[in-house]
Amino acid sequence: MASNVFRRLRPPAIGALHAVNAFCAFHLFLNYVGSIQLVNGPSMLPTMAVDGEAVIENRLSFWLNPGCLERGDLVTFESPLTPGYLVCKRLLGLPGDIICVDPTGLKVPSSEHVVVPKGHLWLMGDNADFSRDSRDYGPVPLSLVRGTLWARVYPFRHMTIFRNPTSFLV
Amino acid sequence: MRAAGHFFRNAGRFSHSGPKSSWTWKNRFSANNNPAVRWVWSTLFWLPTFTVFTQVGCTIRAVTGDSMQPTLNPDPSRPRDVALFNRWSIVMKRRYERGDVVAFRSPQEHGKLLVKRLVALPGDKVKTLPPYSDVEVVVPEGHGWLEGDASFNSEDSNHFGPVPLALIDSKLTYVVWPPKRLGAITSHTIGTQSERVVALPLS
Repeated sequence: MASNVFRRLRPPAIGALHAVNAFCAFHLFLNYVGSIQLVNGPSMLPTMAVDGEAVIENRLSFWLNPGCLERGDLVTFESPLTPGYLVCKRLLGLPGDIICVDPTGLKVPSSEHVVVPKGHLWLMGDNADFSRDSRDYGPVPLSLVRGTLWARVYPFRHMTIFRNPTSFLV
Repeated sequence: MRAAGHFFRNAGRFSHSGPKSSWTWKNRFSANNNPAVRWVWSTLFWLPTFTVFTQVGCTIRAVTGDSMQPTLNPDPSRPRDVALFNRWSIVMKRRYERGDVVAFRSPQEHGKLLVKRLVALPGDKVKTLPPYSDVEVVVPEGHGWLEGDASFNSEDSNHFGPVPLALIDSKLTYVVWPPKRLGAITSHTIGTQSERVVALPLS
């Protein structure tokens, strides 16, 4: 009798395990390879709208090679202020760079400079007036970084691959 | 081609009743007939579930170093305690409490995991120990103050300042090895840790 019950329950149980396994594989793909993310907030304004935009986040490059980041990249990282909250800012300074903390002079006098320490990044929103970024919480540990933004996919009219706009004066 | 189709239909199945056939080289190394190959494929097939379980549930890892003496590795001749790292309470519940022994990703070196005690939470006032530049700090929003129990030989918040709580990866709840000290890790600050912290009053 009991063995009969088990025989009947076995196929759906294995089916459920397969579904869980597929879900886990999908979750790992989103975590380590990349995903489509909705962005909102005014801090990246000329680059990204306040809301209603979807972007493709590339996690694979950073995961395989943390040294791939360049000044000017759009970087996604976990907020140092709110654990578990993903934010996107532009990478301004790599370890060793000397950074003017706030050129606008809004938060600190524009004469203040810092050296970005080892294993940290200096990240700032494109819209300095409405952005909480490294000016507030200082250099961000590389361990908080999740990935980079690769392209905007929605709205379809504004589909773009984000190019690194940095140019260097030699 | 048939072998590949067979693999996708049968990979990870618990039943091991493959098609009965005579011994050939093809059968010897196809997924269904060689027990070793079948075991490897089945393990790989279920790997996502195991990985996600260790990421959001819990995992077991060895802890090296003597900065957490006497809580972990008290015996210098046995410097590798094995502990249960509880990720659920941190990753899913986001429960940070003063006194917890936690593992966190190093703010200085990418890819390195450190184990320290969470001594102070956002808003708390901490009297720091020597290497730190200020005598007293208020832990900023979203950050914590982490110290080793053996603070005199520990590279902790007294060196690199407050650490974002987002860097905390898991909470150490049990010592699993050596069996002599098997048991729960207490969530109490030790030594002068609690005396040096003025907790933010609950408003």
